[in-house]
Amino acid sequence: MGFWMTTIVFFLLGLVASASVRLCCNRGPSTNLFHLTLIITATICCWMMWAIVYLAQLKPLIVPILSEGE
Amino acid sequence: MKFFNDLPPMDHFRSESMSLVQLIMPVESAHHAVSYLGELGLLQFKDLNGDKSPFQRTFVNQVKRCGEMSRKLRFFADQISKAGVTTFPNPDSEEVIDLEQLEIRLSEHEGELLEMNRNSEKLQQTYSELLEFKLVLLKAGRFLGSAQNHLVMAETELVENIYSIKNEDRLSLLEQSMQPEPSNKAGLRFISGIICKSKELTFERMLFRATRGNMFFNQAPAGEQVMDPVSGEMVHKTVFVVFFSGDQARSKILRICQAFGANCYPVPEENNKQRQLTHEVSLRLSELEATLDAGTCHRNKALASIGSQLWNWTIMVKKEKAVYDTLNMLNFDVTKKCLVGEGWCPTFAKPQIKEALHHATIHSNSQVGIIFHDMDSSESPPTYFRTNRFTNAFQEIVDAYGVARFQEANPAVYSVITFPFLFAVMFGDWGHGLCLLFGSLVLILREKKLGSQKLGSFMEMAYGGRYVLLLMALFSIYCGLIYNEFFSVPFYIFGESAYKCRNADCSDVHTAGLIKYRDPYPFGVDPKWRGSRSELPFLNSLKMKMSILLGVSQMNLGIILSYFDAKFHANPLDIQYQFIPQMIFLNSLFGYLALLIVIKWCTGSQADLYHVMIYMFLDPFGDLGENQLFWGQKELQILLLILAIVAVPWMLFPKPFMLKKQQTERFQGRTYGILGTSEMDVDHEPDSARHQHHEDFNFSEVFVHQMIHSIEFVLGAVSNTASYLRLWALSLAHSELSTVFYEKLLLLAWGYDNIVIRITGLVVFAFATAFVLLMMETLSALLHALRLHWVEFMGKFYHGDGYKFRPFSFKLLADEED
Repeated sequence: MGFWMTTIVFFLLGLVASASVRLCCNRGPSTNLFHLTLIITATICCWMMWAIVYLAQLKPLIVPILSEGE
Repeated sequence: MKFFNDLPPMDHFRSESMSLVQLIMPVESAHHAVSYLGELGLLQFKDLNGDKSPFQRTFVNQVKRCGEMSRKLRFFADQISKAGVTTFPNPDSEEVIDLEQLEIRLSEHEGELLEMNRNSEKLQQTYSELLEFKLVLLKAGRFLGSAQNHLVMAETELVENIYSIKNEDRLSLLEQSMQPEPSNKAGLRFISGIICKSKELTFERMLFRATRGNMFFNQAPAGEQVMDPVSGEMVHKTVFVVFFSGDQARSKILRICQAFGANCYPVPEENNKQRQLTHEVSLRLSELEATLDAGTCHRNKALASIGSQLWNWTIMVKKEKAVYDTLNMLNFDVTKKCLVGEGWCPTFAKPQIKEALHHATIHSNSQVGIIFHDMDSSESPPTYFRTNRFTNAFQEIVDAYGVARFQEANPAVYSVITFPFLFAVMFGDWGHGLCLLFGSLVLILREKKLGSQKLGSFMEMAYGGRYVLLLMALFSIYCGLIYNEFFSVPFYIFGESAYKCRNADCSDVHTAGLIKYRDPYPFGVDPKWRGSRSELPFLNSLKMKMSILLGVSQMNLGIILSYFDAKFHANPLDIQYQFIPQMIFLNSLFGYLALLIVIKWCTGSQADLYHVMIYMFLDPFGDLGENQLFWGQKELQILLLILAIVAVPWMLFPKPFMLKKQQTERFQGRTYGILGTSEMDVDHEPDSARHQHHEDFNFSEVFVHQMIHSIEFVLGAVSNTASYLRLWALSLAHSELSTVFYEKLLLLAWGYDNIVIRITGLVVFAFATAFVLLMMETLSALLHALRLHWVEFMGKFYHGDGYKFRPFSFKLLADEED
C-alpha cells in the first residue's frame, strides 16, 4: 500500500473510533466533544509516527550493510 | 473561525464556572446546615475571621471539647493495641447518639479504664513482691538450714565469702549462728533479701567496707527472671543473706540495702516456720494470680466493647470538629441571631446546595429558612475540574506544575494522549509494552480491592496512575511495532523486507550492502536494518528528524491554544501582538526546517540541512548549489528570514504602548485614580470579596514584562526545539540497552548446550529486563516526557497561577487524614 492509501486507512480508522465512542458513551455535547478531541489527537499522533518512519524509508540515502556475523 | 465559535464548550477544557455565594443562617439551623453541606462537599467556605486568633473565635469551646474527645479516643486506641485485643468494627450497630452523650460516655469509659489500670498495677506490684519473698525464703532458707546443720563448704550452691580470712573465724561464726536462740539476741543476726544481679558485686563490697569486714555474705542466684516491683521489668536477681552483729551494723546494712534497691524480707530461722511461711506465701500467690487474671479479662472485655464502636465514634468526632471549625469561619450579623458565611461553589451545584439547606431547615425545626444568594466579586475564583477516575491522574500531572488560572485552557485535555505518546516514542518496544500492559491491567482489574486497602507509597503512586500506565502501555506497543522491536528482535509481521542482495550470491553484502528493490516496508522500520553496520546512522537520522517534527507540532499546538485563550477572554491585543508574531517566528524558522526535512525525504535529495539552515542566516543571498531542494528556495529563505526578523520587534514593542493607550482612555480625566467603592450595603460585611482593588498601571513594569516574555520566546524557540532531541536520545538508549541484554545475556547463554547455563541466562535476562528496562527506563522516559510537557508545551500558553477548589467535604477530610 502506498503512502496515501495508508493515510486514508488511518483517517477511516479514526472515523470508526469516534463513531463507536459516540455510540457507546454518549454523554452530552461537551463530553462528546472531549472524546472526539482525544480520538483526533490519538489518530494524528499515530499517523504522524507512521508517516515519518515511512517517508524516511521512501528514498533512503544509505542501505543496510550487513555485519560479518550474518 | 466561525466553526470554532459554534462548537459547544468542551468538557475539562476550562474550569467550571464558579459563583461567590452568601449564606445567612439562623443560629439553630447553622450546625445542621454545615454538616449537610459537608456531606455534599461542593462549597468552599471563605474564612471571614482570618485575622482572629483561634481563641477569639465563637465556637472555641466546642472545638476544645472535640479535641478532648479525640484525645480520649486515641487513648482507647492505644490501650487496645497495647493489650493486643483484636476488635471487629461493627458497622451495623449504628446507634445515633449525639455529641453530649458521647462525651459523657467517653469520660465514663476513660475513668473506668484508668481505674482498672491502676488496680492491676498495684496487684502486679504485690504479686512481684510476694514472688521475691518466696524466692528469698527458698534460697535463704537453705543457707540458714545448712548453717544449722554444720555443713561446711560442701554445698555447691553456697558461694563462700572470700572476705573471711581464717577458717577458724568462719567456723566460729557458724557455731554462733547454730544456737537456736531468737535473732534479737545481741549475737549473730542476719538480714535476707534479694537484689539485682548486676548490682550484687558492688553491694557486697559496700557492705564489707561499711562493716569493716565484720560480716558474712552468702548469695545464690534466683535462677529465673523476676519482675522488679518498682521498675516493672524482668531482671535477673540474686538472693543474699548477710550475717552480722551489733545494732549499728544493722542500721548501716539496712541503709545500704535501701540505697541499692535491694528488697529485704524477714526469714524465720526455724525450718518448720520457714515451711509454713512458704506455704502461706504460695497460697497467696495463687490467689493473686487468679485475681490478676480476672482483672485482665474484665479489662479486655471492656476494651473490646469500646473497640467495636471506636471507628464510628472517631469519625463522628472528626466530623463535629470539622463542622465547628467551619462554623468558626462564619460571622454573626448585627442582630446576633444569624450567622453569615461566604463561599465559592460551582454554578451547577447551586440547586443541590439549596436542597441541602432546605433539609437542614426542616430537621432543625427552624421557622426561618436559610438565605442563599449570589454575590459578585472581583477576586479570582478557584479552579474546579470535574474529573472522573480516568482523567484525574492526568489532571494531577498538570496540577503538579501549577493549578490552572480560572477559565484558562487546560493542557490536560491534550496531555491525556500526548503524554503517553511521547513516553512511547522514548520507550518503543512492543515486548516491554506488553509487560507494562499486563501490569496496568492487573492494577485496573483489582481496582476496588486495592482502592479500599492502605498501600505503601510506591504502590500508591502506581495505583493512582493506573490509567496513565494503561495508555502508556498501549502507545508503547504501537511505537514498538513501528520501530520493529520486540525485546530488540525485529519481526517480519507486515510483509517482506524492501531490501535484497544486489546479485544472486550476495557476495558484497558486507561491503556495498543491500539494495532497495520495492516500495518501503508498509508499517514501521524495515527489519533488515537490525544488526547491520549502517543501522545506527540510519536510525539516528530518522529519530532526530522525527523529534524535530514532533516538537514543532507540539509547540505549534501550544501557541494555537494561546490564541483560543485570548479569544475566550476577548483580548485582541494578545492575538495581534503576541500570537501572530509568535507563530510567524516559530514557523518561519523551525516550521521551515520541518518542511525541508519532509521534502528531503520525499525527493531523496542529498542536501545537507545543517548547511542550509546555517547559511540561511550567514549568507542568505549566496547560491545554494547542490543543497537546493526545490525551485525558488533562495527567495523563500530570504522572505522567511525577513519575516522572522520583523516578528521580533512586533512581539516586543507594540503591546505595552497599546496597553498604556487603553489605560489612559479608560480613566480619562481621573487624575486620582479609582477610589475603593464606598457605596457598600447597609449590613457591612467585613472582608468581603467585593472590595475593589485599585490597580496601578506601571508602564515600565509592563514593558519589562513584555520584553522578558519576548526574549524568552525567541531564545526558547531554539532551545525548546533542541530539547525535543531527547526523544531521540532516550529511544536510542532504550534500544541499545535492550539489544545488549538480548545479545549478551540471552543469546550468549543460549549458545551453550548446558541447561543450567541456559536457565541462568534466562533468569538474569528476565531480572535485568524487569529492573533496568521496565522500571528504570519507564521512570526515566516518564520524567522526560513530563518535562517536555511542562516546559516546552505548557510554557507557550499556560500561566498556572490559580488556586484549587477545596470544598468543605467530609470525604476529603477522611482522605487527607490518611
